[in-house]
Amino acid sequence: MFKQKKFIVSHAPFWHIGSGIPERNYNMIIAALPAVLMGFTVFGIPAVGVIALSVAFAVLWELAVNYVSKRPYTVADGHAIYIGLIFGMVMPATVPWWLILVGTFLAIVIGKEIFGGIGSNPFNAVALAYAILLVSWGIHLDFNAKLANYTFDFPAAYPIAALQAFGPSATEPFSLLGMFMGQQVGGIGSVCGIAIVLGGVYLILRGFIRWEISVSFVVGVFVTAFLFNVYNPAVYGAPLFHLVTGYTLIGAFFLATDDGSSPVNFIPMLIYGALGGVLTVLIRNIGSYVDGVFFAILLINVVNPVLDKIRPKALGKVA
Amino acid sequence: MTTKKQLKLAVLVAIHLLLIGIVCYAAFPVKAPDEPIRIMLENKGGKVLFDHQTHTAADGYGISCDDCHHHGEEDEDDKRACRYCHQEPPEGQAYSENCLECHDEEDIDEDFEEIGIKKAFHQQCAGCHEEFEAGPLTNDCSKCHVLLN
Repeated sequence: MFKQKKFIVSHAPFWHIGSGIPERNYNMIIAALPAVLMGFTVFGIPAVGVIALSVAFAVLWELAVNYVSKRPYTVADGHAIYIGLIFGMVMPATVPWWLILVGTFLAIVIGKEIFGGIGSNPFNAVALAYAILLVSWGIHLDFNAKLANYTFDFPAAYPIAALQAFGPSATEPFSLLGMFMGQQVGGIGSVCGIAIVLGGVYLILRGFIRWEISVSFVVGVFVTAFLFNVYNPAVYGAPLFHLVTGYTLIGAFFLATDDGSSPVNFIPMLIYGALGGVLTVLIRNIGSYVDGVFFAILLINVVNPVLDKIRPKALGKVA
Repeated sequence: MTTKKQLKLAVLVAIHLLLIGIVCYAAFPVKAPDEPIRIMLENKGGKVLFDHQTHTAADGYGISCDDCHHHGEEDEDDKRACRYCHQEPPEGQAYSENCLECHDEEDIDEDFEEIGIKKAFHQQCAGCHEEFEAGPLTNDCSKCHVLLN
């Protein structure tokens, strides 16, 4: 006789626990704030301007779409604020204002609203916007060019670009621990690995993101980079270097875990995350782009519906 | 579903952030210093990030301004960017406008050949590196030029 006691549902009335979409989004924002604040300390007031404009434009775009499409106003659920914040976090501190205007349009309107709004987006909205901007106006997303007028207490070259262009020997001036603590050039909210990890762990513990995706993404990056490094250490960088530089950590905790574009089952989540990590390193090591995180996330977004076909065995039996 | 009060709050936050963003962009732009720190040299062969500060600082390579900016030797305040003089002349003209700003066309020696920016940089950078046996040399293209996007 079948004795499994899972999924026992009682009859109505039900009591709502009080949690909802706004709570989730505002917690995501809170989790991202330490990394943003660390970015402010590294890049100063221009970074504040980028984040402020990015959030403001994202909210205004969503308001505009809601108004034009005559649908309920959804900006108070915090998702547009969250998308704006993450978009600002991956930008250089000196990015032109019009690129933020275009980028937030791509994220909110093209990446999210035309698919039906929150939860219906097949691609991560920020990854989609960033990829389009990178292909169209790559020079404005080149950290070495955009931050050329900054002086830093640490090596001023974009670490992952130095590795890709000049090989592991060029990474000697960089300190792994220093970069993890925020002493590196990069996006406003993606330079401080420890702040991103703390935010991510908070979200995992609160159940807002799934650890399976984040952990498998990080493992995917590490193992693939390790294999490349073992194959030819003179050409390919060390796995830990790949982890703490570029967009690896923000991708693992804040981009790949996007609920609308990621799987819901255990095995698919592991495959999805690991595939993202593998693709990230493949694009970095043998592609023509400095960082592969955004393209990798878009690619795993594409395979997401197929991965979700791997389902747990149905409970019960046919009589 | 969110309430009207929450909607108003979100819109107010967005408007305030918009104003903060405008003020930050208008009042606190990252200005290019009088003496460049790093210069991104865009070109078809792959962009080159030139660390101007390290080349000129006393605790860096300590190169004098005149070693590269050889035109304004008589005036310390008249140091022009390389590209100001080193550029290809417009089609149909023997010399560029910037040349003729200071020199009369009749006074220029007939044998004088205008050095374009590519040749000028390669001569200056590789020449110095070879002289001091330091840094990338002429044929080490990928040690300076980056073709990645």
